[in-house]
Amino acid sequence: MHNYLLRHAQVFFYSLGQLARTPFASLMTVAVIGVALALPTGLYVLIDNMQRVSGGVDSSARISVFLKKTVDDARAEHWTGRVRKIPGVARAEYVPPKEALAEFKRLSGFGSAIDTLDNPLPGVVLVTPALTKTDTESLTALVERLKKSSEVELVQLDFEWVQRLNALLEITRRAATLLAVVLAASVLLIIGNTIRLAVYNRRDEIEVIKLIGGTGAFIRRPFLYSGALQGLFGALAAWLLIQLSLSVVAGPVADLALLYGSDFRVKGLDLRGSSSLLVAGALLGWLGSRVAVGRHLAEIEPS
Amino acid sequence: MIRFDRVSKRYESGHDALTQVSFDIADEEMVFLTGHSGAGKSTLLKLIALIERPTRGSILVNDRNTAKIGRFRVPFYRREIGIVFQNNRLLMDRTVFDNVALPLVVSGCQHRELGRRVRAALDKVGLLKKERDYPITLSGGEQQRVGIARAVVNKPPLLVADEPTGNLDDALSTEIMDLLADFNHHGVTVLIATHDLRQVKRLGHRVLELHNGQLDYDGVPAA
Repeated sequence: MHNYLLRHAQVFFYSLGQLARTPFASLMTVAVIGVALALPTGLYVLIDNMQRVSGGVDSSARISVFLKKTVDDARAEHWTGRVRKIPGVARAEYVPPKEALAEFKRLSGFGSAIDTLDNPLPGVVLVTPALTKTDTESLTALVERLKKSSEVELVQLDFEWVQRLNALLEITRRAATLLAVVLAASVLLIIGNTIRLAVYNRRDEIEVIKLIGGTGAFIRRPFLYSGALQGLFGALAAWLLIQLSLSVVAGPVADLALLYGSDFRVKGLDLRGSSSLLVAGALLGWLGSRVAVGRHLAEIEPS
Repeated sequence: MIRFDRVSKRYESGHDALTQVSFDIADEEMVFLTGHSGAGKSTLLKLIALIERPTRGSILVNDRNTAKIGRFRVPFYRREIGIVFQNNRLLMDRTVFDNVALPLVVSGCQHRELGRRVRAALDKVGLLKKERDYPITLSGGEQQRVGIARAVVNKPPLLVADEPTGNLDDALSTEIMDLLADFNHHGVTVLIATHDLRQVKRLGHRVLELHNGQLDYDGVPAA
């Protein structure tokens, strides 16, 4: 067992040495793989951050129900009580016209100028649904139900933009997945091609090893390590590329968030995301190499 | 050690390289395989190394029927045969030590054992001081001696050499042949394909002569 691990360690460092021996070619391959992996990963990071933005507003998603002018406070309170009992409603709060006007006065800065007017504002019931943002069907049903009441003038759902954003994110997510599949395939091809060239460059060596009794597994091993290492380094390059890009936009995003009164911060790849990226890179490299070596090794027979 | 029983080899091109060849080589024997170029010497050696398979007939090596050795067993079979090539086939990007160590690395030899055996093999061919050198810096005769060290480092019971002196002058040829004969004295069965009749005559071992793919002569030529 110890001997087995030692041999693998030797092949590992030998493969590393082989890559270091042709630094320019290795660097090119790693860079190409890095870009190919960075595109879908970057898109995922973007989606993740957008989701956190929309998730942040989610709790403030409210339904504003504007009552008819003819409805007095007592009737409005009574109606609000009925709304509270509807399933799917977490909270319902009645804001009488007087309070609404006071708030408007305070916020608008018109001050006493407003006192001269008749109160033009209707009573409002603020309904907080106990629904998740994705459950748009139940939400729409609730809105429809509220609309049917004779007391109600207008129902406004402060939610539509979140819905639209989510729909947009879903499209982006699928696009990212497609992109990931296509680019993973291209990583396979890149590594496959590199390994194919490596196999042909070392034809003589492979023939000699076959003649002195090297097994297929023995001959494949350095190529598999080489492929996995190139994939791993490519993933590392992708990781650096993403973290670098994020650090470039982090400042402006924080400034923008501050303007909206939010302490939102751009989030990069966490430990899990980073390790997934590295593992995926190494696996793709190994797989691409395995396919190429399997195909081309059989063609090389000593003569 | 080696038994050929009515072995024929026809290549896909239709060329008959060997026709009905039969012979026996005993354990610890030393035999020369001669014949004009194209007579089938290389084909015969390829059949022993399982680089090619016979069209007809059977080949026993070390009491084993080679026809029964499957593709995945071939590497393990080859570890029992040391092969010396005409153009030595050394790996030029590796040191002398690494070249000689290759058969041991391939068969998963213990690290400590490996160094000991490589040095023993290099000592035997007189190149112990050159273990850190690259083959390209060595002379033709020295390169061939590295090739021989690589072939014997595994201590195989059978040593097969294909024109081992093909590219060497007389003095170096004598040196190489004596080295191979020395391994034979230590109990290794040796089969050497060569057209260097001077060496064949000098050493006076049994000769198998091929002519157009047929065994033309089998015996010890009179001195």
